[in-house]
Amino acid sequence: MEHFPWLTTVILFPIAASLLIPIIPDKDGKTVRWYALIVGLIDFAILVYAFYVGYDLNNPGLQLVESYTWIPELDLKWSLGADGLSMPLIMLTGFVTTLAIMAAWPVTLKPKLFYFLMLAMYGGQIAVFAVQDMLLFFLVWELELVPVYLILSIWGGKKRLYAATKFILYTAGGSLFILIAALTMAFHGDTVTFDMSAIAAKDYSFNLQLLLYAGFFIAYGVKLPIFPLHTWLPDAHGEATAPAHMLLAGILLKMGGYALLRMNAGMLPDAHAFFAPVLVILGVVNIVYAAFTSFAQRNLKRKIAYSSISHMGFVLIGIASFTDLGTSGAMLQMISHGLIGASLFFMVGCTYDRTHTLMLDEMGGIGKQMKKVFAMWTTCSLASLALPGMSGFIAELMVFVGFATSDAYSFTFKVIIICLAAVGVILTPIYLLSMLREMLYGPENKELVEHTKLIDAEPREVFIIACLLVPIIGIGLYPKIVTQIYDSTTNQLTALMRNSVPSLVQEAYKPSSPYSLLSAKAPEIELAASK
Amino acid sequence: MEPLYQYAWLIPVLPLLGATLVGIGLISLNKATNNLRQIVAVFIVSITGVAMVMSFAILWSQIQGHPVYNRTIEWASAGDFRLTMGYTIDHISSLMLVIVTTVAFLVMIYTDGYMAHDDGYVRFYAYLSIFSSSMLGLVISPNLVQVYIFWELVGMCSYLLIGFWFDRKPAADACQKAFVTNRVGDFGLLLGMLGLYWATGSFEFGVMGERLEELVSSGTLWSGLAVIFAILVFLGPVAKSAQFPLHVWLPDAMEGPTPISALIHAATMVAAGVFLIARMYPVFENIPIAMNTIAWTGAATAFIGATIALTQNDIKKGLAYSTMSQLGYMVMAMGIGSYTAGLFHLMTHAYFKAMLFLCSGSVIHGMEAVVGHNPVVAQDMRLMGGLRKYMPVTAITFLIGTLAICGIPPFAGFWSKDEILGQAMTANPALWFIGWATAGLTAFYMFRMYFMTFEGEFRGNDTGIRQQLLAASGVVFGPGAMDTKEHEDHGHDDSPHESPLTMALPLVVLAIPSVALGLIGRPWANNFEEFIHAPSESLAEITAEAGQFDWTEFGIMAGLSVAIATAGIIVAFLAYRAKKIDPNAIAKKYPALYKFSLNKWYFDEIYNQVFVIGSRRLARQIMEVDSRVVDGAVNLTGLATLLSGEGLKYLETGRAQFYALIVFAAVLGFVLVFSIT
Repeated sequence: MEHFPWLTTVILFPIAASLLIPIIPDKDGKTVRWYALIVGLIDFAILVYAFYVGYDLNNPGLQLVESYTWIPELDLKWSLGADGLSMPLIMLTGFVTTLAIMAAWPVTLKPKLFYFLMLAMYGGQIAVFAVQDMLLFFLVWELELVPVYLILSIWGGKKRLYAATKFILYTAGGSLFILIAALTMAFHGDTVTFDMSAIAAKDYSFNLQLLLYAGFFIAYGVKLPIFPLHTWLPDAHGEATAPAHMLLAGILLKMGGYALLRMNAGMLPDAHAFFAPVLVILGVVNIVYAAFTSFAQRNLKRKIAYSSISHMGFVLIGIASFTDLGTSGAMLQMISHGLIGASLFFMVGCTYDRTHTLMLDEMGGIGKQMKKVFAMWTTCSLASLALPGMSGFIAELMVFVGFATSDAYSFTFKVIIICLAAVGVILTPIYLLSMLREMLYGPENKELVEHTKLIDAEPREVFIIACLLVPIIGIGLYPKIVTQIYDSTTNQLTALMRNSVPSLVQEAYKPSSPYSLLSAKAPEIELAASK
Repeated sequence: MEPLYQYAWLIPVLPLLGATLVGIGLISLNKATNNLRQIVAVFIVSITGVAMVMSFAILWSQIQGHPVYNRTIEWASAGDFRLTMGYTIDHISSLMLVIVTTVAFLVMIYTDGYMAHDDGYVRFYAYLSIFSSSMLGLVISPNLVQVYIFWELVGMCSYLLIGFWFDRKPAADACQKAFVTNRVGDFGLLLGMLGLYWATGSFEFGVMGERLEELVSSGTLWSGLAVIFAILVFLGPVAKSAQFPLHVWLPDAMEGPTPISALIHAATMVAAGVFLIARMYPVFENIPIAMNTIAWTGAATAFIGATIALTQNDIKKGLAYSTMSQLGYMVMAMGIGSYTAGLFHLMTHAYFKAMLFLCSGSVIHGMEAVVGHNPVVAQDMRLMGGLRKYMPVTAITFLIGTLAICGIPPFAGFWSKDEILGQAMTANPALWFIGWATAGLTAFYMFRMYFMTFEGEFRGNDTGIRQQLLAASGVVFGPGAMDTKEHEDHGHDDSPHESPLTMALPLVVLAIPSVALGLIGRPWANNFEEFIHAPSESLAEITAEAGQFDWTEFGIMAGLSVAIATAGIIVAFLAYRAKKIDPNAIAKKYPALYKFSLNKWYFDEIYNQVFVIGSRRLARQIMEVDSRVVDGAVNLTGLATLLSGEGLKYLETGRAQFYALIVFAAVLGFVLVFSIT
């Protein structure tokens, strides 16, 4: 371990900094927000620098590795590392959390506690993506819930206690399965170890794999969320404040997808091959079901919350596609939705600050006085409905093409799934544009204008949206800037997954195209040799 | 010439940069940027001018025989998958570049006059510039994915521009309708694209066609699948080019400002569908069923559009249905295999229809001075009449456009439409008959429009008609129009006036191609066909064909077309100018037919009932399931734990004997259970 412990630094720095908050002299809560913002920026800068000096794009394995024995009796190690699955999400966490701190500027209730929790979450979230020890993963996963619970239950809306309790019960219930599965895996076989790569290398019987997989799947399915385990999300979102939204949609949901990739697909590939069709079907259900529900919602926050669920369906289909392209698309969809979801929820917060209502029926024509809000809402919604030139489009396209060319499924199954998923392509603009129309377009709602003063967006708000749009549009214009960060890792992971599909074993990947069957076999042989 | 090609990517990128700059200005320094007004306009127009000059240079070098130029970069990759983006300059893309940049350039100049008093002047220029950029990107796309990307982007621009006056409710509804209807088409395009990629492993037009042909002929791929893929791809053009049954968005799109109706919804974007069919020719050509579907869809659209246009009173709606009908001609031409004729009509139509729309804008601009800014009265032809006296330039250019669209020689439309009809006769006489009958209808409704607008007495000051129209439009416009000061109910002049120079000049310039452009496609010396022909045809075949030109056949076909057009014009003259025929009497005699046409074949009503209300109901039901059943189960579990906890707490009495009793009972229970089993 010759290199500087970068990952430990980025995790512990905000947590340590948060401990100083109580002693900062601050009466009106204005110093502490600057303090939190600066800490966030410094941490993000460290992260970018560490990525720049210590991360090799072509190395599919773990990098920036650190390992310290913590409790030797339990074989608990403080072991960190980042590969292609972790690194982009760690960066996303740093980015979105820093912006969330800036979005929290108007928070006046208990600012010290609020920023303390934000900084604690900052470190905690990065830790979830970076830890390489199963027990430690479980610990940070659980610890992560506490600040979210507190933020929901103290700064939430009217039904905040119901929502917060639902959230904590749901996720804690899910985590129970992680604990059981993790312990089973750790004690399985001859050696007792919590190290993730050692656990992955163990040999599990097929039935055990199925049980473990189901356990993980329930836990991560709650987080992602997957139908029918999703109902905590609209409630939590319906009551949360804008910064909490940004973290929930931007990062917390991605933990589910990340863990599905790392543990379900990466550690239990045989079970993954068995469960994959279930994932695909649930993915389609997520897309279509949540899109319809979102269309019917009259509450702005719940509408966007369901749209998040709908978008997460693509992640599931991508993970289960058994193609490089699909896995890569799933990863990109997580990053892309992290940015787009955060921007949409920030806009919801912006709008609520002005209209003091979330019901679409009580709005209408508010774009007339707020031209900038209008522009930002339109851009973010277009990003969310997968307009080309923005990140959502390329992610969805990769999942579509990846699944269409997958050789793990029958032709009929693929046709049905793709047609249904493509229905989502029609439904997304329906609910998003209807929302824009009812909220911003048309003549002004007289009652609303009488009671409230609609002031156009302030520079801080424009800046936050601009910050989120830069990567959204950047990825849309040239996706390789992000895909190359994780490409080597996802390709390796896909190869591992493919090894477990009985029909695909011993076969090189071919894009299942009738043309490739017809044309010369030469390129395929080359591919097989290179594997 | 090489540097010109190396930097051809600037053509779409320049307008994008212009739009980005203005956009950033609007967001960060809103007031200052809005005050710049004409400086911004000059900036955007000159950028488009640069793109136009480059396009002309490229077209010239292509005409001189420069080989096809391709340049691509790797855009996305994962594993073995590679997706490239870039641009390709060949004959058809160089032609499209010129069409798009010239129309865009003229429309932008026109906009200065038309939008002079609008608050959104600067924003409008930014939107126009993004649109030009996307449209130019579309025509130089080398593969289907890139076409799809720009296809969606032009759709977005169309959405933004239709909803430009977003505080008007009809505009708000129309822009969403346009986007969603187009998404339905894109749904097909996406599926078709995935299917073709699955089958052929490529997104390149030529490669897809070649491999698909090979697969079908060798029997590896069921030919029905190829048909399905082709028709799915064709759904994209059906929506974008407003073909039956996805045409419903185009007439509503007229809620946008008139310059964009000319640019987007007449000349360029709606023609993108025809362009895509042309690009996909290597695939479509070998699939006869798909080609027939295309041809019949086009013919049906041409006919439906024309029949609806007969009774429209809103000048822009009338032109919109005429656009739909003309697009039907182009699509039909593509379907019967006359690639050249379809694109030829695309080009001539782009110019004369853009001019007609700009004329209608000029008329509306003039009318607004008299009747105020409410579109219900400003666009209704029943309030117009006799405008030729007040706006001579507009009247003459409109007449030229009308003659061109009716197919009167030697105007541009004659040559292109006649070529389509001639080829339709060879392909299928039934298609020819529909096209021919539609030509008659076209002549009638276009001259009806001309006579109602420009001839006779000016009716704009007739308050009776005004009140009637306002009352008929009812609540829809009322509140919105009265809310704001700019929507005055009454104008300030008694008579309309000719539009300012910036508006009149583009009309005059567009009149030139509307008159003369057809001459490059004379059937006996078809310069156009030598330049633009189907990828599978060779130049030698074309010159050989041209050598066998038959004057008698041409005479008969052209004579028939001109005859029916003249008949249409005469009927329109008798009804709307000489007043020998009373159109109202005919309408009363056949009320069902009249209503059918006036209500646009009831498409909107049916779609509203089936799709809009249906999908809303379904969504509400699913939401009910979500909150009652799925979430209900969750809450029920919560409730059950609470209740059982509440119940169990009474057992915790604190007395050890009671606990012992419970333990004893439990043990007894276990023993009993195990002894039984």
